[in-house]
Amino acid sequence: MPPASAPIENGVIDALKTVSRRPIEPTLESDLVADLGFDSLQVLELIAELEDRFDISIPLNDVPATRTVAQVVAQVAELVGSRTERSTP
Amino acid sequence: MTKSRDPRTLPQALAEAAHAGKGYCFVQNGVDVPRPYGEIERAAFQVARSLRDAGLRRGDVVAIVLADAEQFLTTLFGASIAGVIPASLYPPSPTRDLQRYFELTANTLRAADARAVVTSSSLAPDFEALRGTCRRLSLVLVRDALDAAPIAPDRMPGLDDIAFVQYTSGSTSAPKGVALTHRNVCANVDAINGPSGVASSKGDVAVSWLPLNHDMGLVGMALGPLYCGLPGVILPPHLFVRRPAEWLRAMTRHRGTISFAPNFAFDLCLRRLKDRDLDGLDLSPWRIAGCGAEPVHAQTLAAFTEKFASVGFRASSLFPSYGLAEHVLAATFPPRGRPPVAETVSLDDLNRLRLARPATDEHNTVTIVSCGRPFPGHAVRIVDESGRPLGEREVGEITLNGPSVMLGYYRQEALTAQTIRDGWLHTGDLGYLSGGELFVCGREKDIIIANGRKYHPQDLEWAVDDLAGVRRGRVVAFGDAKPGRADRVVIVVEPNGTVPGAALTDSIRRQVSDLFGLYVDEVALVPSGTVGRTTSGKVQRAATRARYHELRADGPAGEAAGG
Repeated sequence: MPPASAPIENGVIDALKTVSRRPIEPTLESDLVADLGFDSLQVLELIAELEDRFDISIPLNDVPATRTVAQVVAQVAELVGSRTERSTP
Repeated sequence: MTKSRDPRTLPQALAEAAHAGKGYCFVQNGVDVPRPYGEIERAAFQVARSLRDAGLRRGDVVAIVLADAEQFLTTLFGASIAGVIPASLYPPSPTRDLQRYFELTANTLRAADARAVVTSSSLAPDFEALRGTCRRLSLVLVRDALDAAPIAPDRMPGLDDIAFVQYTSGSTSAPKGVALTHRNVCANVDAINGPSGVASSKGDVAVSWLPLNHDMGLVGMALGPLYCGLPGVILPPHLFVRRPAEWLRAMTRHRGTISFAPNFAFDLCLRRLKDRDLDGLDLSPWRIAGCGAEPVHAQTLAAFTEKFASVGFRASSLFPSYGLAEHVLAATFPPRGRPPVAETVSLDDLNRLRLARPATDEHNTVTIVSCGRPFPGHAVRIVDESGRPLGEREVGEITLNGPSVMLGYYRQEALTAQTIRDGWLHTGDLGYLSGGELFVCGREKDIIIANGRKYHPQDLEWAVDDLAGVRRGRVVAFGDAKPGRADRVVIVVEPNGTVPGAALTDSIRRQVSDLFGLYVDEVALVPSGTVGRTTSGKVQRAATRARYHELRADGPAGEAAGG
């Protein structure tokens, strides 16, 4: 896992709070379902929210394996990283 | 086209529409792809011929598992033309575990006694692999390969043949397939389009993102326009869920006049659309904003109107309605052009006296939206447990009668006999009548509704039953349906003491989420003996639920009001 920067971590946590319909305090260890109460619709909402925030495209096939906030952060960091590499000549 | 019309079969309606010249427009990868009804009919003939060539015969069940709207519709029509029975099943969700999906689907295929599956090339190998456990399943057909020469069929189905069977959700316990005749479908579609319904006329455009394996998506938004030769715009459901603004953009682009969606969709637009998303929207042509398939919330509708008023949306377009797949789709509609009518009633009277009385103080009340009146030739009756009709404002089970009542649950005679008694469909929903209008206020049947979809508690119970730490057979699931808000999913479990409570709660939530994509709002770990069993060993869901409510009532007040 590439190390995630603080802005990405904060952005993911902020996105989680935006999408959740309950007051939540996510940490890196939080499980999306068990701790944060996300159902399948909200997972899709979260993806859209992250794509907007970070200007990335998240492949849906990876979603079933994603459990924790840390995994989301790592995935976003990786996608943001590859986007930056692509756009840097 | 508000004049009353003769009943038509699905192929007849398609032929008429093909003649009239309009068509569907499928939004694919962000591009509008118009498909005149004539092209749809031609593709359906190809499918029909291919199914016959594959050896399928009249009365064989063909399961359709296709996410693509155009493929789904042409296959449905083609199967109907070929005289086989199309059964619609949910395709897998991209965010869910495929293995679990196929376990549930295999069970549905067995229950349907399906001889063939029509699916995409990517899912076909998985269906091939199910043939070992689904004995009757002899053909797995890839939709793209159903391209025989289009030949008009020799024998068309009759009005009393089954038009299609709709499996509302994957189920491990008893998959319920709603079987509808062509006469059923036509009666409901004509009522929806007719003068007591949306009064479809030239110039109307239907726009929908609803999945076609959902009654509202298929009957309301795909067959609805087709049966009266109007254009129908169809977006992929995933596009809407990820980008809800796309629904309203399509409404704007096509000058959409009719669109139905469950309450959650209006809610999603409220939460996800930012101010800049409103730029360029024009919702002024939208005259029927149907809301149904799950409880309608007055606050959602009011907030939606407020948010979108600046782009031309009107409260008088809101069209809260009631219906269910067992009644083809729609049961009651409000008068057109009237802003939603809601009543605020006392929750105590509702629950204890089963009486809807206007609230006298502001505490402990609930606001319920009127869903209007039944169609001509159809009837609504509220009855008590013994089936006795109740009076004005008395709360009881909603029962429906008329030509839209389904033929039955496919290959489930006992269940059908329980559900349709003396011609009256027992919906399991609770409501009352006031001034001839229906107010829906809860549910008697053990069904959980989330995001417009129905889940069977037994499926959740079986899924949880296998987990370590659970006393086998001591699990009860139910939807805590309170009027005016979304269901809370509650699972009552007797732990066996081998797994700590917090870990057990986690694993239960994880399991239900993996299998059903559903969040369990509350896992109630209860002492041994709380979950009752009948002498035949079945869990007593109603009794356990009542005990749960007693426990909650004794608990902290904030807890009881939570959710």
